[in-house]
Amino acid sequence: MLFYSYFKTLVGKEVTVELKNDLAITGTLHSVDQYLNIKLNSIRVVNEQKYPHMLSVRNCFVRGSVVRYVQLPPGSVDVELLHDATRREARGG
Amino acid sequence: MGSLQQIVLPALDQLSPPGLALVEELDKVLLVQLRDGRKIIGTLCSFDQFANLVLSDAKERIIIGEQYAEVPLGLHIVRGENVVLLGELDAAREPPAGLLLVSEAAIKQAQRAEHEADKIKGTLRARFDFLDDT
Amino acid sequence: MAEEDNTVREPLDLIRLSLDEKVYVKLKGERELRGKLHAYDQHLNIILGDVEETVTTVEIDEETFEEIIKTNKRMVPYLFVRGDGVILVSPPLRS
Repeated sequence: MLFYSYFKTLVGKEVTVELKNDLAITGTLHSVDQYLNIKLNSIRVVNEQKYPHMLSVRNCFVRGSVVRYVQLPPGSVDVELLHDATRREARGG
Repeated sequence: MGSLQQIVLPALDQLSPPGLALVEELDKVLLVQLRDGRKIIGTLCSFDQFANLVLSDAKERIIIGEQYAEVPLGLHIVRGENVVLLGELDAAREPPAGLLLVSEAAIKQAQRAEHEADKIKGTLRARFDFLDDT
Repeated sequence: MAEEDNTVREPLDLIRLSLDEKVYVKLKGERELRGKLHAYDQHLNIILGDVEETVTTVEIDEETFEEIIKTNKRMVPYLFVRGDGVILVSPPLRS
């Protein structure tokens, strides 16, 4: 639940989601659920020419299982907060 | 600095039921990208927590180079694990700019030509691997 | 609590002791990450900071059939890594 809770604090921020098929999508984080499925608004696709089908899509739902990385906005990462939450989670909290 | 309260675990009764994320997409025309690279367009009739989808009036949009075509599929059920992403088709951005609508026959032909080109590359690679083994 | 913090009873305890340290993460698809470990969970979902990603690809020269091994590197300030791609996490690099 740690990452689900953490991603919820990033709602409204701009993130870049990189998928296992190498597609990378930048957009505003709209919502996240327990499976870490992600919804993005106002998306733009990195290397758009290669993925012309994405031109007609502005908001999208990404299935959590196909995510490889999420690039987080540097200004909204509180490392102390993450350390504490991780230790709590490791204790089975 | 965010407060520690930000990452406390939500109480179980505060959790929304899992997999409700697609409620807002019901009855909308979506573009669904599958893991094998295919793109299906259809109206979302139903879904579940795995992102299994039921799409009505589904069609496959095939894009090869600067041409595209749409192949009617009818009612389709998509198994969730094959879904990469889905998004509402923005009417203002349809049809896709810079792409030319062609017939199903024409796109199938272009698709075959692309497959052949890929295959030739593949055989060259296979021959090379063979040489490498000896 | 301090004594409990330093004991290693299960594999993930070793990762807990690497929090806020630079770690090496090997991923599927010939990808490697080096960065500071800021968070993880039981699935090995991870957040790293000051990450260097290395991607190794093998291309075959169409003319000479030679194998060309390329490594691409890039830096990312903060990266969430989904656990299902993780092959191994190695504790602090002393470098």
